[in-house]
Amino acid sequence: MATEVKLPRLGQGMESGTVVRWLKQEGDQVEKGEPLYELDTEKVTQEVEAEASGVLLKIAVQEGEVPVGQTVAVIGEQGEDVPQAEEADEAEVDETPQEEGSRAPERDAEREEGAEASASREPAEQVTEIREPERNGRVKASPLARRIARERGIDLAQLRGTGPEGRIVAEDVERAEMVPAEAPAAAPVAPAPAPGEVEVVPLTSIRKTIARRLTEAWQAPVFQISMSADMARALELRERLVELAKDGPKPTISDVLTKIAASALMRHRGLNAEFVGDEVRIHPAANVGMAVATDRGLVVPVIRGAERLSIHEIAAARVDVVDRARGGKLQQQDLEGGTFTISNLGMFGVENFIAVLNPPQVAILAVGAVEEKPVVRDGEIAARPLMSLTLTCDHRAVDGADAADFLRTVRSMLEEPGLAL
Amino acid sequence: MAELSYREAVRDALATAMRKDDDVFIMGEDIAEMGGSMGVTQGLLDEFGPERVRNTPISEIGIVGTGIGAAMQGMRPVVEIMYEDFLTLSAEQIVNQAAKHRYMSGGQLKVPLTIRTQGGAGWSPGAQHAQQLESWFVHIPGLKVVFASTPTDVRGLLYSSIYEDNPVIFFEHRTLYGLKEEMPDELEPIPIGQARVLRDGEDVTVVATGRLVHESLDAANQLEEQGVSVEVIDPRTLQPLDEETIVDSVKKTNRCVVAHEAVTRMGFGAEVAAVVQHQAFDWLDAPIERVGAKFTPIPFAPVMEEFVVPHAKDVVEAIQRTVQRDGD
Repeated sequence: MATEVKLPRLGQGMESGTVVRWLKQEGDQVEKGEPLYELDTEKVTQEVEAEASGVLLKIAVQEGEVPVGQTVAVIGEQGEDVPQAEEADEAEVDETPQEEGSRAPERDAEREEGAEASASREPAEQVTEIREPERNGRVKASPLARRIARERGIDLAQLRGTGPEGRIVAEDVERAEMVPAEAPAAAPVAPAPAPGEVEVVPLTSIRKTIARRLTEAWQAPVFQISMSADMARALELRERLVELAKDGPKPTISDVLTKIAASALMRHRGLNAEFVGDEVRIHPAANVGMAVATDRGLVVPVIRGAERLSIHEIAAARVDVVDRARGGKLQQQDLEGGTFTISNLGMFGVENFIAVLNPPQVAILAVGAVEEKPVVRDGEIAARPLMSLTLTCDHRAVDGADAADFLRTVRSMLEEPGLAL
Repeated sequence: MAELSYREAVRDALATAMRKDDDVFIMGEDIAEMGGSMGVTQGLLDEFGPERVRNTPISEIGIVGTGIGAAMQGMRPVVEIMYEDFLTLSAEQIVNQAAKHRYMSGGQLKVPLTIRTQGGAGWSPGAQHAQQLESWFVHIPGLKVVFASTPTDVRGLLYSSIYEDNPVIFFEHRTLYGLKEEMPDELEPIPIGQARVLRDGEDVTVVATGRLVHESLDAANQLEEQGVSVEVIDPRTLQPLDEETIVDSVKKTNRCVVAHEAVTRMGFGAEVAAVVQHQAFDWLDAPIERVGAKFTPIPFAPVMEEFVVPHAKDVVEAIQRTVQRDGD
């Protein structure tokens, strides 16, 4: 019995996804749990695993955007018939499934016509016809035919092979190319800009998501407060933790900060919240998102229950998600459920900055670099390692005094880490 | 210009080298007074005398071993093994000695020995006298292997083999000795390692050796009437193989058939097919076809022998498989 591979809903609110690339070809054996294809959603590009074992009989959607629930492929046994519903045109997806056999007679007729066309060897007829899918899903073509098709951007699946057992040979591809492309664009095309003037980069899904969400965030009535923390003790703590880390990942100041922010959030739970519609949802655990720059754009993987994790555990979790974020291997679940976000640009030498809210979260903490600065202590000027903390809050959920309370707790815990215990 | 048979062309190469060079001598079973079992060396005893045209006992291992010794001492011996089937008896000397000395001495020794032999089916010699064993020897590093199919080629290549500093196994085909061809009076050496394109074509490349070169040319003529243009290439030297000529041709025709009289399975053609698929993969428009003998000893009965070894019609069918279309 064939299994239809349907586009999964990977997260709340996911309506569609974009099939980027298949990791298996038609005709390949697949095992349940093996990565099957890459799916680009609003948040991540992730590998989707096969839900059944068998032969990948057909790939219904090679690439492109697909609504959740649509069949993108069929897995079954070698030689098994591909189910009817799945052969519906891609545009027909939302329609009710075909009744069993309802299309079959029509298709038989088409097939016969196809055979006649082949016998008469009318080039034009052959190539304009859509090839019947191979029973085992694989397009049979000679290496030369494949190369020519590849070089000229011709889709072999659209050709009818005239070689032995229907193999597509070079001649079939050459013939396909001779058929003029249908209806060349009638509208005059605007002259292309000279090379080097403007580079047009279409937005990727992830970039579109960043744009949409940050525009939303801009509509929230936000305010910012900032403080500087003396990081001498925190740096000592971190050094000691690095010594103790042995083989594990070495904790960074960010990890210390994640732990301290999580502890502070447990004491100021109004900041560990989301503003949704007409309610504020206060969360029991500090799921701290960390903004990570990748070459595909900004992502914010989440470290869950950071208040219960040791700094070493946080470091390990951070290394894991950051590595996967940079490798494009994040899963949807890595990005969900955040209750608070930290954005740290200290490693870039940024002294202080204001972060844009990560809605529906009500607060985000922007962290700058630790820098030696002159500070007046007991009437004396002393050089101290200071770090700026700038908190952006959604005023619909948080008032200035609450925010100040929270930030003061964060600062005192950084200056005296023992307070976080 | 003179018209020489394949047999006379072999003799001419031997005589030319022997006249020019005292270091060249020939040795084998019944090659002197009798002139060899195939008559190749007739008349050479009279011209060069018994010192340089030497009969040997019936000991193939002894013939080759003696040749190796003489070659290492600076001579350029040409020894004859009456049937290539009997190369098995001298295999130790060929495989473990001749092929190894230059390598194992770090180049201090060389073995400029030519081992002439002949064989092949087509005249009902029976299972022990009809084999084509060239693929045994192309598999041995240190040996060169030549298999010429025309009088011109056999003369030019035998001469080059005599002056080759490595041991050469020089295969002749029994059924080709009577084949005649016009060629210049003056011998023109043909370099070892160069294939020959005997016929230009556009649709299929046939890589053939020995007798199958002629069967393939016959097949090409038959198919020309059907509009299929066949290119025929004879590698002539099987080891080293002129891969470039073969691959260039397949890149032009996009189809390849390999044909030899030796059994198909594990044959020389398998190596050619491997070379072609690897170097011309993206140019192939059909699976590479192989033509060769069925996997059985060669039968004595003439009809059975004919059934087992390949002929022009087998080459025709293989070519047709590469160009056929659905419904053909």
